[in-house]
Amino acid sequence: MNHPTSHHRLVSLTAGLLIALVAREMRTQPPTQNAAGISFENRQPQSGVDFVLNNGTTVDKPIIDSIPGGVALLDYDNDGFLDIFFTNGARIPSLSKEVPGFYNRLYHNNHDGTFTDVTEKAGLSGTGYSIGVAAADFDNDGWTDLYVTGINHNILYRNNHDGTFTDVTEKAGVSGVNSAGKKLLSVSAAWIDYDNDGRLDLFVTNYLDWSPETSKVCGLPGKRLSCPPSLYPGEPNILYHNNGDGRFTDVSKSTGIADQIGKGMGVAVADYDADGWMDIFVANDNQRNFLFKNRRGKGFDEVGVEAGVAYTEDGIPVSSMGVDSRDYRNDGRPGIFITALGGETFPLYRNEGNDLFSMETYPANIGFSTYKMSGWGAGIVDLNNDGYKDLFSANSHVSENADIDPQQHYLQTNAIFENMKDNTFQDVSAHAGPGLSLRAAHRGAAFGDLNNDGKVDIVVSVIAGHAELLYNTTANGNHWLLIQTIGTKSNRDGIGTQIKLTSQSGSVQFNQVTTAGSYASSSDKRVHFGLGGDTLVKEVTLRWPSGTVQTLHNVKADQILKVTEGAL
Amino acid sequence: MRALYASVLCLGMAVRCLAATSEVSTDSNADACAGAEIQLKSLSTNLNRNQFSAAEDRLTVLKAEHPDCSSILLAEARIKASQGAAEARDLFSRFLKKVPNDPAGLAYFARFLIDQGQYQQADELSDAAVSQDVKDPAAVSQDVKDPAALAVRGQLLIMKGQPKQGEELLIKSCELDPDNAESQFQLGVLYDRTKRPGEAVKHFQKVVDLDPGYASAWDYLALNLEPLGEVDRADAAYRRGLEVNHEGQQFDAFLDYNYGRFLAKRNRLAESKLHLDRAVELVPDYRDTWYDRAKLNLRIGNYAQARSDAERAASLTEETGGILNLQVYNLLEQIYRRLGEKELADKYANLTRQTPPPTRKGSESTPSQ
Repeated sequence: MNHPTSHHRLVSLTAGLLIALVAREMRTQPPTQNAAGISFENRQPQSGVDFVLNNGTTVDKPIIDSIPGGVALLDYDNDGFLDIFFTNGARIPSLSKEVPGFYNRLYHNNHDGTFTDVTEKAGLSGTGYSIGVAAADFDNDGWTDLYVTGINHNILYRNNHDGTFTDVTEKAGVSGVNSAGKKLLSVSAAWIDYDNDGRLDLFVTNYLDWSPETSKVCGLPGKRLSCPPSLYPGEPNILYHNNGDGRFTDVSKSTGIADQIGKGMGVAVADYDADGWMDIFVANDNQRNFLFKNRRGKGFDEVGVEAGVAYTEDGIPVSSMGVDSRDYRNDGRPGIFITALGGETFPLYRNEGNDLFSMETYPANIGFSTYKMSGWGAGIVDLNNDGYKDLFSANSHVSENADIDPQQHYLQTNAIFENMKDNTFQDVSAHAGPGLSLRAAHRGAAFGDLNNDGKVDIVVSVIAGHAELLYNTTANGNHWLLIQTIGTKSNRDGIGTQIKLTSQSGSVQFNQVTTAGSYASSSDKRVHFGLGGDTLVKEVTLRWPSGTVQTLHNVKADQILKVTEGAL
Repeated sequence: MRALYASVLCLGMAVRCLAATSEVSTDSNADACAGAEIQLKSLSTNLNRNQFSAAEDRLTVLKAEHPDCSSILLAEARIKASQGAAEARDLFSRFLKKVPNDPAGLAYFARFLIDQGQYQQADELSDAAVSQDVKDPAAVSQDVKDPAALAVRGQLLIMKGQPKQGEELLIKSCELDPDNAESQFQLGVLYDRTKRPGEAVKHFQKVVDLDPGYASAWDYLALNLEPLGEVDRADAAYRRGLEVNHEGQQFDAFLDYNYGRFLAKRNRLAESKLHLDRAVELVPDYRDTWYDRAKLNLRIGNYAQARSDAERAASLTEETGGILNLQVYNLLEQIYRRLGEKELADKYANLTRQTPPPTRKGSESTPSQ
């Protein structure tokens, strides 16, 4: 007879608990604001954005059908308004975009709440089974370029300055093929100037060793489930160094990146140790996460275990999907927010300084709420302009047939956790307007101000459904500032610039220039600050990747401020 | 502490240490019980609701008036079994000599043997309990009408790795006798183990409605309310469980542990510490209690105590609880890092990296092709 070996109550129930809330810091609060709650409205129906993410799924529900769905918010034509790019799947097993329903799509912002599909003119319909996207100006010409990741093709598109793009993948040498000539299954990508040489380099996360031939099948006939990633070997990530001549060099080995085999999903970039060199966090699916500490541009040390972010505070991995890394405590230290699967909770790591993190999921009051959620897109964003960054997650279970387990739901609503300014959050999703009540197979999410009203909007990709254009309709009258950095010595986008803002009332905030974060997606490069009731910013200090430190004084609120490196 | 430890062992084997309850067996020697029908029914209710003290009082009276009534003998065996008394075995044997192949008698005897760790014999008896009137073994749940027999067989099948079949029998048992606390409890345990908290809660709630003194049922109820996000209800259930968690056969040694962990999640750290302190006293040979107290001490900055607790957890094996070596290494790494003991921190960082994590993910299933 098989005797039971362990008692339920002795088994660790979940990922989360822990970490200090022992002594809460007293902070200067922004002036009183209107208490109107965070609210979102989905304006996709009237937007002209008719994109439907087609994952090409088959009856066998191959693991890849759950992972697509990147979104990019970029201003590709420099008209001052964010446009939207979606990645799309392909036929399985051919992995080719055989019909227009599989094309990636670019929608031009018409400045009136509507968009026009300009995919074909732009030449961005794509090739192969696409997953993620990263937008930035890699060649420092002032025009945003695009990198699209995928299963069988990664593509770098150079912006031609006329509304069209050119595929320069082969010339650039960024096809996602490793030194053995094998195309790795790429999910997310991040533009980062890791060596501060003024040129954006490219980091690509790779998931696992899947092909149509090696695809596994799980679950019962007719009710197939996405197989667990444990059935496939993991893959190393890739780092490409930008040579400055349109070409890149694969430096994965020499920088130590390739030494780590994981199952990379989301990627976030932040200078977690404030040494002036951008570090990289990779969310691995059901394996320990990686924190690549930048060795002053010479390479990276993987310090996830040492820093306390490899596992949950329970010492076990979760199915890490999306990730964002920003300072949600206004203490100058970027924390880490990760989405994961139902039954795991979403890890939230507080940056303690001294190269250590502590998990705050339960202390920050998101443990019980997120235990029931499965998340993909993730953001640490100030959604109500109160000067404190909130959390957003785009939710859905992995498996289309997840509902055969009554505890799981494939279609889920997205979630917003409002920052309560005391190091805790409150799940306000149910009260955040009709845009947050939509149950769908949400995947990638990108954050940015679509209508330049100073409030961060969110675009979410949906498998087998219309993408959601979640306009921020929060009506509290709070003030804001959007900062667009223009590098001269640093990379043109200013990616990596650390910004400290001190508002009129004395409250201090920190953020950074990056388009990376979330899941397989790319967000507005402009840096957003909510100012509460303040109409004036006393001081803005920018620490550029070049080392230049620039300070602006008495900046008016409610504007999009362009800051050129070194300009007075 | 010795008695507590025995209780812990029993819980560790995922079986209820108390004797099961069900209807008092139908007596073949009906004449011997004539005139006691009403009292026997009340006795049955007492037993089904784990009201053993009240049952004992009734039994004393009944025994004097109906010395040859076999139903009374079975009831006495069940009461003794609930106390873990060895003489229960003799009483069950005597009963089964008088009423051979009685399904309920076989079932209660089997449950007693489970509690004694005698699984093979329990398996045989429980099988016999459901086989008396069954020609087709596949039709057990349709044919067997004795809820106790169904419940104990269901429990055994689950222990043998046949959860589907076990669930079927337990459901049938609960349908036949919804007021049987033990059947409800066992079905709740199954749902708990298969991570179906919504269903588990229904059954544990039923158990505590029937038997408000059932500490383990309160404990399980609270544990399953947690993942549903019903934190206030979970808190109340833990507290009710602690109120009724008296020393003795029914004592639940893990209530303090579970409540301590729960309180930590709710940022009630001082209260959490009290319960985890008590947990390590109650269950000192289990890795989990030390591990969780170490985590709490780390969280509140009491690094020296965290170190001591975590090292104690490391000295115990994975088999003593559910905490894996990986978890302990990772915790020790973090503690030593904060203590500034780099060499030890690096040692445990290496061990953490070298130890493969468990594979788990929602909806994980075995490939069918």
